[in-house]
Amino acid sequence: MNVALFLSVLAIAACGLIYELVASALASYLLGDSVLQFSTVIGTYLFAMGVGSWLSRYLTRGLVARFIGIELMVGVIGGFSSTLLFLAFAYTGAFRLVLYALVVVIGVLVGLEIPLLMRILRDRYAFKEVVSNVLTFDYLGALAASLAFPIVLVPKLGLVRSAILFGIVNAVIALWSTFLFAELLGTRRALRAACVAVLTILTVGMTQAKAITTLAEDNIYSDDVIFSRDTRYQHIVLTAWKDDLRLFLNSHLQFSSRDEYRYHEALVHPGLAALPGARRVLVLGGGDGLAVREILRYPSIESVTLVDLDPEMTRLFATHPLLTKLNGGSLTSPKVRVVNADAFVWLDQNTEMFDFAVVDFPDPNNYAVGKLYTTAFYRALERHVSRGGLFVVQSTSPLFARQSFWSIVETLKRARLKTYPYHVYVPSFGEWGFTLAAGADAPPYAPPGTVPPGLRFLAGPDVAQLFTFPRDMQAVAVEPNRLNDQVLVRYYEKEFDAINR
Amino acid sequence: MSISRREFIAGLVAAPALVGLTNKAPRPIAGGFVDDAMGVGHSLRDGRAVPHPRDRRRVHVAVVGGGIAGLSTAWELDRRGARNFVVLELAAQAGGNARSGENDVSAYPWAAHYVPVPGPRATLVRELFVELGLLRDGEWDERSLCFSPQERLFMHGEWHAGLEPEFAMSLGDRAEFRRFADVVAAQRATGQFTIPSALGVSRASALDRLSMDAWLREQGFTSPRLWWYVDYACRDDYGASLRQTSAWAGIHYFAAREPDERGPLTWPDGNGWITKRLLAKLGGYVKTNAPVSRVRREGSRWRLTSARAEYDADIVIWAAPAFVAPYVVDELRAERRRTGFVYSPWLTANITLERWPAERGSQPAWDNVIYDSPGLGYVVATHQSLRTFEPRTVWTYYHAFADLTPELARQELVRRDWSYWRDRILDDLARVHADIRDCVSRVDVLRL
Ligand SMILES: Cc1cc2nc3c(=O)[nH]c(=O)nc-3n(C[C@H](O)[C@H](O)[C@H](O)COP(=O)(O)OP(=O)(O)OC[C@H]3O[C@@H](n4cnc5c(N)ncnc54)[C@H](O)[C@@H]3O)c2cc1C
Repeated sequence: MNVALFLSVLAIAACGLIYELVASALASYLLGDSVLQFSTVIGTYLFAMGVGSWLSRYLTRGLVARFIGIELMVGVIGGFSSTLLFLAFAYTGAFRLVLYALVVVIGVLVGLEIPLLMRILRDRYAFKEVVSNVLTFDYLGALAASLAFPIVLVPKLGLVRSAILFGIVNAVIALWSTFLFAELLGTRRALRAACVAVLTILTVGMTQAKAITTLAEDNIYSDDVIFSRDTRYQHIVLTAWKDDLRLFLNSHLQFSSRDEYRYHEALVHPGLAALPGARRVLVLGGGDGLAVREILRYPSIESVTLVDLDPEMTRLFATHPLLTKLNGGSLTSPKVRVVNADAFVWLDQNTEMFDFAVVDFPDPNNYAVGKLYTTAFYRALERHVSRGGLFVVQSTSPLFARQSFWSIVETLKRARLKTYPYHVYVPSFGEWGFTLAAGADAPPYAPPGTVPPGLRFLAGPDVAQLFTFPRDMQAVAVEPNRLNDQVLVRYYEKEFDAINR
Repeated sequence: MSISRREFIAGLVAAPALVGLTNKAPRPIAGGFVDDAMGVGHSLRDGRAVPHPRDRRRVHVAVVGGGIAGLSTAWELDRRGARNFVVLELAAQAGGNARSGENDVSAYPWAAHYVPVPGPRATLVRELFVELGLLRDGEWDERSLCFSPQERLFMHGEWHAGLEPEFAMSLGDRAEFRRFADVVAAQRATGQFTIPSALGVSRASALDRLSMDAWLREQGFTSPRLWWYVDYACRDDYGASLRQTSAWAGIHYFAAREPDERGPLTWPDGNGWITKRLLAKLGGYVKTNAPVSRVRREGSRWRLTSARAEYDADIVIWAAPAFVAPYVVDELRAERRRTGFVYSPWLTANITLERWPAERGSQPAWDNVIYDSPGLGYVVATHQSLRTFEPRTVWTYYHAFADLTPELARQELVRRDWSYWRDRILDDLARVHADIRDCVSRVDVLRL
């Protein structure tokens, strides 16, 4: 028997299995619970194949042309299955419906393939050999596909392109069949044209895979993405919907323009308004320039030094019209100096002194960022704060991440600093916490009675109230965070997992 | 700031696994063997090439060997007011197994890379560490203690935090780990493992006559996870398997450490950090490229023959490996025939990476161990960096030859060329980082 013929059986079988794996893997990526996704997808798929096999009895004439038609349909639908699923997830609420509909359609078509092929071959070869060979190569194809999928395809090609690649295989087999079974076909030209068309569409899809996933991503940030860039350090995404501008760093929400004033007023004024003599201010992190905007409300401030790791971030917030409108052009103020450096190292290599410092880093969700929340870091920072000066630390949520919040406070205490924790409600974040810190020999901090004019949230007499904690946010016994024992990252991970369950 | 499922997916969609990667041509990997002074060592042992220098000097004390032992000796002599002494070092660079290297990415160790936090009785080490600014008011310098995460283990296809394979343990395994910790605590309490050992209970012990595997069996330990863990410890500390390690030494690894230590102390250049500081203070006493080829009695003094000078010393302190002494010191000739210690060879490599490779599971740690690998894993030299983002890095890879006898291992070391070791090392790492060859720009290999 013709080996090449049976290799195409192997290829067909591999394609069938790949679509099944692609659908299962995508469903588990997107919906979670991989055991459930794999078993329901595989079960549905096998059932649909059974339906296809049963339906094959109703196809009686023009078997070869039908077979080629089915190959082309499998090629297109299977090939674009993962693309469709990504888009369905991003743009519709009916991901599951699309998933199972696709699985059923592909399953039925794949279920038709082998019975039809066997019937085509029955007239050429002895039936017992047809059955034995077709099934052998069918199972071999399944083995090849199931090995290739996790080892080569997913890591090298990704889910979108893997599916398309196998769509191309289906289409190539269809085209080849027009030659192989030429004598059984009436009109070959139309069929070949259809094959070439399908191949072209799939090849274009292959080259556009990246664009397709970006399209899907746009919609995952439910609003319009107005800016998206992978810098050396992070993935910056900016979305806009009506008057709401949102910044995401590595998919974490950093601010919403609707309520960021609450966050930034609370971050800056309780500390800075209490230091009428302050002239020089340091901001660590906060490349969005929003804390700097608040600092520049004090005419007495002579200079602000902003240290942020990512030059693309500070450039974006110094130039993008929507963003400079939001931060009042703070980053281009002549009083402001922007330094792009890693904060801890910058503190170590400098001797500059400041009257007030704002520490506004991303949450401590990994050990790299966690270094910026350690006793060693706060000691290094303290050396840059003048006598009687203060610094404030964004300290996560005392409500959702209570241990994390109090661990930051404890860390500051172990760095021999006086601490004054407070909190504020920011709708897009929830209850949020900050800690003011002062040197051990500094006079005790007293909340300021007045704040600069023009604030939208804080009024002088309200500041003192921020420092009282209701019962469900009060201090708990926790360990300090140290470079050699980053408990904070573990607290944060645990508390974070609990919310997302 | 919590992440919703959708935001999480956004990360996934952008992940290369879903979009696909473009393959680049593999980058060329540079490197070679670094100077390992193997030749000089062999010629000493064979009694070849004894020079006859003209120059003769008179010193009160001559220290042979400029490793950490020789340099610490110099530190103590200097502290006691001695000035008339010399440290003679064979190699071009002092430090011995505590030497280090440096390139434009990072400093890195060549062998010793950490010091367990010295306990309260290790008073001399603590005094040295006070002088080096590591211990202040009873508190260890946070920046020199190993940062989180300290260790991780690769098993079942991904990295897991910690070295004990906890996630893969049955109830029985857990019970054995707990019992092992109890047995170790009891051994620690006897005081015989306390460092410095000179202060400990007299050393001769029944544990000396038992191998570690026999001891584990005798104690009724059967968990394969525990056996792997203890075997790893022996290979890591002694370059020897459980069968080659005495029970005393095997237990020592665990019982000599403080039970609640939050260490160890480590630096990008490993113990080379200490070496550099000792040399900065005491370098004036150290002569490098000065192998001592002969030591003999001359009247009431000792005469040492070195490459460029002969020294007459009242006192000789031997701080070179003990097995070399019988080949150099006339008075110890008789010892040559005795079979004493066997020294296992080692292979270390410093691997320069232009970017971090792909991986699965927990975040990169300082010490990264691969379960059931012949290697000991790798230590990340940039781990002690204060930066939140290190684009490039250097890894120190350790290989012990616990599966071979020391002689066979040594032959293997001499016979194989650099590209053989490069491929073996990268093959081992490719099991956990599939794209390692696209990240590495140099592999420098040291045979010890
Ligand atoms: C791969 C490896 C990893 C290790 N990791 C650690 C670790 O992490 N932490 C730790 O505490 N310990 C570690 N150790 C052990 C540690 O390195 C040694 O205990 C310590 O460095 C030994 O110091 P030393 O001065 O006694 O000997 P060496 O470092 O061997 O120094 C001896 C010196 O004598 C010189 N010498 C030899 N012969 C002569 C001669 N005839 N004349 C003059 N000079 C001579 C040598 O060149 C050498 O410089 C490790 C060892 C190895 C091999």
